[in-house]
Amino acid sequence: MSALQQYTILFGMIVGTLGFVIVLYLLHRKMVKMRKEPAKDIPAESGRLQPKPAWGRYHVHYYGYALLFLAFDMEMAYMYPWAVIYKEVGITALLDMGVFLLILFLGLLYTWNQGGLKRQ
Amino acid sequence: MMWMIIGIGCLVSIYAIVVLERRLVYKTWEFGYPVAAFASYFIQENVKPRKRDKTFYETAPILFITVAVLAIGIFPWAESSVIANMATGALFFNAALAYIMVALVMAGWAPNAVYPMIGGWRFMGQLIAYSMPIVMAITATVMRAESMNMMAVVESQTGLWNIVYQPVGFLLFYAASLALTFLPPFDLPNAPGELEGGVFAEFTGTRLLIFRLGRIILIFSLSLGITHFFLGGWAGPFLPGYVWVFLKTILVACSFFVVGNLLPRFRHDHTLEWSWKLATPLALFNILWVGILLLL
Repeated sequence: MSALQQYTILFGMIVGTLGFVIVLYLLHRKMVKMRKEPAKDIPAESGRLQPKPAWGRYHVHYYGYALLFLAFDMEMAYMYPWAVIYKEVGITALLDMGVFLLILFLGLLYTWNQGGLKRQ
Repeated sequence: MMWMIIGIGCLVSIYAIVVLERRLVYKTWEFGYPVAAFASYFIQENVKPRKRDKTFYETAPILFITVAVLAIGIFPWAESSVIANMATGALFFNAALAYIMVALVMAGWAPNAVYPMIGGWRFMGQLIAYSMPIVMAITATVMRAESMNMMAVVESQTGLWNIVYQPVGFLLFYAASLALTFLPPFDLPNAPGELEGGVFAEFTGTRLLIFRLGRIILIFSLSLGITHFFLGGWAGPFLPGYVWVFLKTILVACSFFVVGNLLPRFRHDHTLEWSWKLATPLALFNILWVGILLLL
């Protein structure tokens, strides 16, 4: 099978799942009546009303990790093609990637050393 | 004929996973539970929160179930039956499952409520923790197979399964898949007893049904992933290949639930610390290990 055919099949799977969901929604709309009651649509918050919209600014305590994650995630993009031809190229590939990963790993150690690997 | 058997096999194993989850987590045999749960969510009212983000609220459950189904598409069921025999199968599996985080953050953001929001941000932190071990473990299996095609990955394991060849990679992949499917001990985004349902708190009726169904399919696809990357896929004596695939998948899913029963819930910052101080260096070591073994 060509790549195009395979992507068509995968696209068909998306369409099939979407179709299933839409049929379910339509059946539900047909069969289940929604009863109108006051204050039914307030988000659950242990019996209290929400003071303000929840869409505020949150302090995510892991932003240090997030920066490190970006560096490592970029590295993975190089890693996949390297992994495929690894056995063919042999020891050269190991050394090349070894140097690259060592530099990256030193980055991880440096972050750790500077106290980046904890809840900020 | 073959495809009919595989389709029925998928449905039966999803049914079996639901029933076995009831058995292993709640200690009761309820053979009617999947049908009863489906029906009870289906007749529930669709109560929507007042000031929601309409686009995200509708998209999140659909995106969640779609990517879980897509991840199944690349796996072979027997020697020659595979839905999409892609050259970049392993990468596609990864790419599809990256959207689980997107769906859950959307689901957390959409209802404009505090508990789901916290659940959503927590899962984003969890992604930063689990994605490096899972990606690097997959890379090591790809190195052995010299191809990202899943058929090649399974065929490379004839004789010696990857669970023996690279045990460190298996352990990392296993823990990371628990985190990806947000099963206990990593069930932070919906943390029962702590966040009132977390990201799913404001979803009712059919949308919650789609989420629950998607979660089961996600567990199924991750178990399939472990089966194919580490447990030799269709390989096994006496029985035909697809029976082995389904059998191994159900067993892996059961082991998820058993492990979840035994461990306490991880805090999200502890997950991150363990991931970056232990799991990522171990994953790099695993790549080096496989690299040296391959050159010997």
